[in-house]
Amino acid sequence: MTDASAAIEATDLVKTYRSKEGDVDAVRGVSLTVAHGEIFGFLGPNGAGKSTTVRMLTTLLTITAGSARVAGVEVIDDPDGVRRRIGVALQEAGLDLRQSGRELLTLQCRLFGMSAAEAADRTQELLELVELTEAAERRIQGYSGGMKRRLDLASALVNRPDILFLDEPTTGLDPASRLVIWDEVRRINAQGTTVFLTTQYLEEADQLCGRLAIIDDGRIVSEGTPAALKSQLAARLGPGADPSLDDVFLDATGRTRERVAGEVQEVQA
Amino acid sequence: MRETAILARRALREGLRQPDALMPTLFIPLFFLIVNVGQVAKIFPTGGTPFLHGQNYAAFQLPTSLLTAASFGTAALYLVEEIEGGYFDKLRATPIPRASIVLGRLIAELPKSVIMSSAMILIALPFGVRIRAGLGGYLLLALLIAIWAAVFSGFMQLIALKTRSAAATNSVGFIFFPLLFLTPNFVPRSQLSRPMEIAATLNPVTYIMEAARSLVLDGYDWAALGRGFAVAAAAGVLVLFLSIRTVNRYD
Ligand SMILES: Nc1ncnc2c1ncn2[C@@H]1O[C@H](COP(=O)(O)OP(=O)(O)OP(=O)(O)O)[C@@H](O)[C@H]1O
Ligand SMILES: [Mg+2]
Repeated sequence: MTDASAAIEATDLVKTYRSKEGDVDAVRGVSLTVAHGEIFGFLGPNGAGKSTTVRMLTTLLTITAGSARVAGVEVIDDPDGVRRRIGVALQEAGLDLRQSGRELLTLQCRLFGMSAAEAADRTQELLELVELTEAAERRIQGYSGGMKRRLDLASALVNRPDILFLDEPTTGLDPASRLVIWDEVRRINAQGTTVFLTTQYLEEADQLCGRLAIIDDGRIVSEGTPAALKSQLAARLGPGADPSLDDVFLDATGRTRERVAGEVQEVQA
Repeated sequence: MRETAILARRALREGLRQPDALMPTLFIPLFFLIVNVGQVAKIFPTGGTPFLHGQNYAAFQLPTSLLTAASFGTAALYLVEEIEGGYFDKLRATPIPRASIVLGRLIAELPKSVIMSSAMILIALPFGVRIRAGLGGYLLLALLIAIWAAVFSGFMQLIALKTRSAAATNSVGFIFFPLLFLTPNFVPRSQLSRPMEIAATLNPVTYIMEAARSLVLDGYDWAALGRGFAVAAAAGVLVLFLSIRTVNRYD
């Protein structure tokens, strides 16, 4: 299936981390297609390969095998072309703590080729968007977790990307901050930006994502709209079953409530 | 080039914003200067020591202190912090040549080093230390030391890029430590014991130290200056080549 108009198209992506301690097959053949304008969710347990996939799609990690087109550009052939068209907020909101919020955004704008005046305007716009105007002159060192996430999100938007990659954008945030990020993501998407987000929160996927894929141990084990995934499982479980996305996730990743409970007990013992 | 300049300005701002990180760079070499001079100055009186060219022993030691101050590699510690914290990846996700991330920091070392050297020379003036080559000599001296500071930081950054860990960068950095001391830092090379003389002759830092010292004690000794700047330039080319290769292959 080749869809030239897709926002993201990955074909048999493989990543093997090589080190002296041995090789780790982190991603073992992931193929996926994300259409323009979607919010696509990438779910999986810890260590499933979510971040590795995101890092390959965003040019930060070499691709061991397979290929990917992002925003119509071949990742391997033209990484800078991809970088110009995407925004990235990684799992560890990587910020320079010694700069102020305004300085960080201005620098990011300048690195995307804007003049000093353009950068100043765009920075102001983004600070307003993520409601950080008051903290703008303060060092990032003193920002709360939620503020850092919002700043990181703003920095991923400087170049008005076609596609926004968010790796666990709400992990570690309190429920209120999480809602703020969700609103932001919806607003960005409403303006036409395709969003690829990874999450461990099933509720987040249910709330935000039009379509999702579940990855486990480096392979995609399930894919579809949240509703379709739930009804497929309901059909398998038989009459009367009303599975939640939690159940879909546990089923797809071969984990059962009983086993998870058992593991917890073992830890407690 | 444009991106390199932008990132250099940022690195400079970061350095000036963290003056406490620069303090050891200034005070440890000054401490050694005072202690070393205090311990041996009597053996090398200004009048009876030909290699001092009429200056006092502190003038002889000044280049050692300047080189020590230029060999802390704080830029690499900022870089490794950035790698550990993830900001390095944010920079890598922008459409800039990756080399500019590393080069920006190296270029920022030049003005930082000039400020540092100037401060140390100013502090040494009341103790009777003079630069024989005058104002031009001071500029050449500051330039030579600044190139060395960038070169040293460059090697430290290589370690940072390879190990990606602050602890490892710090400890591996100690392999450069002997380079500073297997030099004619107490007496001229001709007066070292034979094994030390061989070690110093093989050590590239020796030639930078001798060039710097010639400006302080002697005026313009073009042969010594030529060797010093040649060594600094060669090391600079090597570290540039290795840095660009390493950062482009960073995965
Ligand atoms: N640099 C690396 N070197 C070696 N192995 C790695 C490296 N990065 C990740 N891995 C391994 O690859 C696998 C996938 O990791 P990845 O970070 O992609 O998972 P993830 O789904 O993002 O997990 P999490 O939810 O914990 O963020 C894990 O087994 C991990 O230990
Ligand atoms: Mg991850």
